[in-house]
Amino acid sequence: MTPRSLSGRARALGVARARQAWTIAKIELRRAFFAKRSFWVYGLALLPSVIFFGHGLEAKFRTERLTRRGVISAALIDSVAVGESIDDVKKRLGKPAGESWSTRSRRVRQKTGNAGATTNVIEPTVDARYVRLNIIRPSYSGEPVARIYEFEIYGPDGRVNLALNRPITGSIPCSADEGPEKAVNGSVAGGQSDRWCARDWPFFLQVDLGAVRPVTRFVVKHASAGGENEEADTREFNIQLSNEGKTFTTVASSTGAGFVEQRTEIRDITYFDGRRAARLLFIDGKLQRRDVYRPLDFEEDRAIFAGIFQYFYLRLAIFFGCLGIFMYLFRGEMSNRTLHFWFLAPSRREVLLAGKYAAGLIASAAIFGGGALLAIAAMIWPHDPVEVQAYWNAGGMGHVFWYAAAAALGCVGYGSVFLAVGLYVRNPIIPAAVLLAWEGAAGVLPHALQKMSVLYYVQSLCPVPAPIDDDVPTLIRLLAAPAAPASRPGAILGLLLLTAFVLWIASLAVRRMQISYGAEA
Amino acid sequence: MTAPKLGTVQPSEGGPSVIFEEVSKFYGEVLGVNRVTLNIPPGITSLVGPNGSGKTTLMNLMTGLIFPDHGRILMRGISPRDPEALMRITGYATQYDTAPRWATGFTFITTGLLLYGYSRTEAEEKAWKALERLSLTDAANRKVAAYSKGMRQRVRLAQAIAHDPDVVILDEPLNGLDPLVRAETIDMFRAWAAQGKHVIISSHVLQEVDVVSDQVVLIANGMIVAEGRIRTVRDEIQEHPSQYIVRCRDRNASGVAALLFAEEHITEIKLNDDRLGMLVMTRDREQFARALGRIALDGHRIESVVPADENVDALYEYLIGGES
Repeated sequence: MTPRSLSGRARALGVARARQAWTIAKIELRRAFFAKRSFWVYGLALLPSVIFFGHGLEAKFRTERLTRRGVISAALIDSVAVGESIDDVKKRLGKPAGESWSTRSRRVRQKTGNAGATTNVIEPTVDARYVRLNIIRPSYSGEPVARIYEFEIYGPDGRVNLALNRPITGSIPCSADEGPEKAVNGSVAGGQSDRWCARDWPFFLQVDLGAVRPVTRFVVKHASAGGENEEADTREFNIQLSNEGKTFTTVASSTGAGFVEQRTEIRDITYFDGRRAARLLFIDGKLQRRDVYRPLDFEEDRAIFAGIFQYFYLRLAIFFGCLGIFMYLFRGEMSNRTLHFWFLAPSRREVLLAGKYAAGLIASAAIFGGGALLAIAAMIWPHDPVEVQAYWNAGGMGHVFWYAAAAALGCVGYGSVFLAVGLYVRNPIIPAAVLLAWEGAAGVLPHALQKMSVLYYVQSLCPVPAPIDDDVPTLIRLLAAPAAPASRPGAILGLLLLTAFVLWIASLAVRRMQISYGAEA
Repeated sequence: MTAPKLGTVQPSEGGPSVIFEEVSKFYGEVLGVNRVTLNIPPGITSLVGPNGSGKTTLMNLMTGLIFPDHGRILMRGISPRDPEALMRITGYATQYDTAPRWATGFTFITTGLLLYGYSRTEAEEKAWKALERLSLTDAANRKVAAYSKGMRQRVRLAQAIAHDPDVVILDEPLNGLDPLVRAETIDMFRAWAAQGKHVIISSHVLQEVDVVSDQVVLIANGMIVAEGRIRTVRDEIQEHPSQYIVRCRDRNASGVAALLFAEEHITEIKLNDDRLGMLVMTRDREQFARALGRIALDGHRIESVVPADENVDALYEYLIGGES
């Protein structure tokens, strides 16, 4: 046999085997595309398209609505400054494209009064000699300490403080220089020794006016009048009068301040210049914040796409999709008890492996490559044709190609891995978890080990780095992006070598594989 | 061994025999077959043994579905580890009652043939021929999953022989076949044997296969108990009548019984009270099957024929000398 005919025979043999593998692949395509598990594989592949389509639809609707309500010039939008009043803005810019109005209310404690003083007036005037101030709740803070800096009593003429320096009694004071007399000494400015203070129930002050006099107005100066915290002001008290100092009648009571609603008016007004929308936030009539954004921002959408593609599509969708398709190429036939038909065919086990892998690869690459292209189409669809054209001119076609290529090569890599796993392991859950952790952690592994992960190569192929916020912790940053991406030819070559290695391991298993469906001996 | 070649087979070492040399196969701790040495010449060979004795294991070993732990197997000179060459000359109908979900009888067989390198037309032609042989043409375009058990059995048989193999290995091929088809199938085996093919079949009922076989291999507990042309065994069996339960339709069991009783190989007939069934004892199963065929062709409607010999295992144990 001449060497020439020998190599000719070898080539013919190779062609015959390749043809066999292709025949097997054609038969297996049905399993790969229409397996029972396929519906969630399709779901994973189509999810980004659905998200972008929904986003585009929503943005289109919003733009449409804003446009219908009136478009103003870009210069007018830029002219708005923080601090302007709503009326000025509306007068200058006209009717807004969108307006919403709301109030925010908050419960706040009512102020005690003018500088910590309360005034109670009784009409008509009452005659009395003894005036008693009963403190029922001594403070807002709940602290059981009564503090009164001054207690003033006025008659109908309203000018003379009848209580000034009159004899006064009261609860036991906190200290010797905080006695009741400090509440009628005519001053509040002398600090804490210029007040009456008491810690023991009952809290009261009683002034003897010296004779029965007509009284009509009482002024109580509380803790904050003397410079203390408002929380220490008296919360609830009443005033009683008596002619003889035995029986008292309540003539005035103050339940203290309590709480009131504080209302803030918020107006949210939107103007639109055809591309940009300005959202103006007025609080109580003054412009507080001005957000200018674009309902359809091509650049932002492309960045979002890059993020979804790398973090969801490559890491999860293709990963689990390939698990669903490849893992069951052999495993599914074992549980259906049909694998022996292949083993009884006149072909090498390696040819069977190649055929099945090809079928899974065609199906997964079509599903996920198609899914990526569809998602890009859904992402681009709502945008301004001029911008899109500019993107094409600036290498957009290359981006699209590399996204599709990265998806397909992800299937090449993950497919081989799950085909091998399906040959060695029965239950997919544990290997899937281990592989997911391995692929996820590859970013923090030593460089040599990174090269043993599919993600490392596939991520290197992505045309746009996925956006990562600056405040993301370093560890997550490392996990999200490989430290040293490979060059594109290097990544493709590396991925193919890795795949070849994994398929070689799979071929070892398939060569050793024996049919044992059950207990049949 | 020379490099495997697609499409060409060169019988080499060992000639056209199926050879087992000291072959053992273990399933973990459990023994499958133990130190089996066989030399099976062409012709009809029956592997006979009770369920679980290792018949299927031997057949799976022959076809490379499982590999031996010890020993060597050669199928007409080809190792079962080389399916590319082996399966070109071998067809194996397993007992696994499965077929791909999508397959009709016709596509199932055609698809298999495509792997032999036939063009689609050739493959379809051969598939059709195989279906014709097993009278399955009417069902050819129905899903295999919808077939009856007997039809599935036949379609697996058709699939195994569609590429016209030299070594036909059939696991319990007569199981579930009605008498007419059974007789036809046996005739087919004989025709193949006459062409110099290996026809290796298995059965757990010795009487079912011994008369048609050129060789019988008796297996028990994974070991070969007896092998070869067992004249004496056959005589023994001839003397041991076998029983069948025959069920008729139309309540004319007595008519069928009368016809059967005219046959000289029938030794006894017991009619059932329901006038539908009867227990028949015969010395010659093959003639019995032919007689039933004639009766059926005369228009008597026979619903089923089931071997009712309770003593098969007892006979079997007697034959293998209590070694099991």
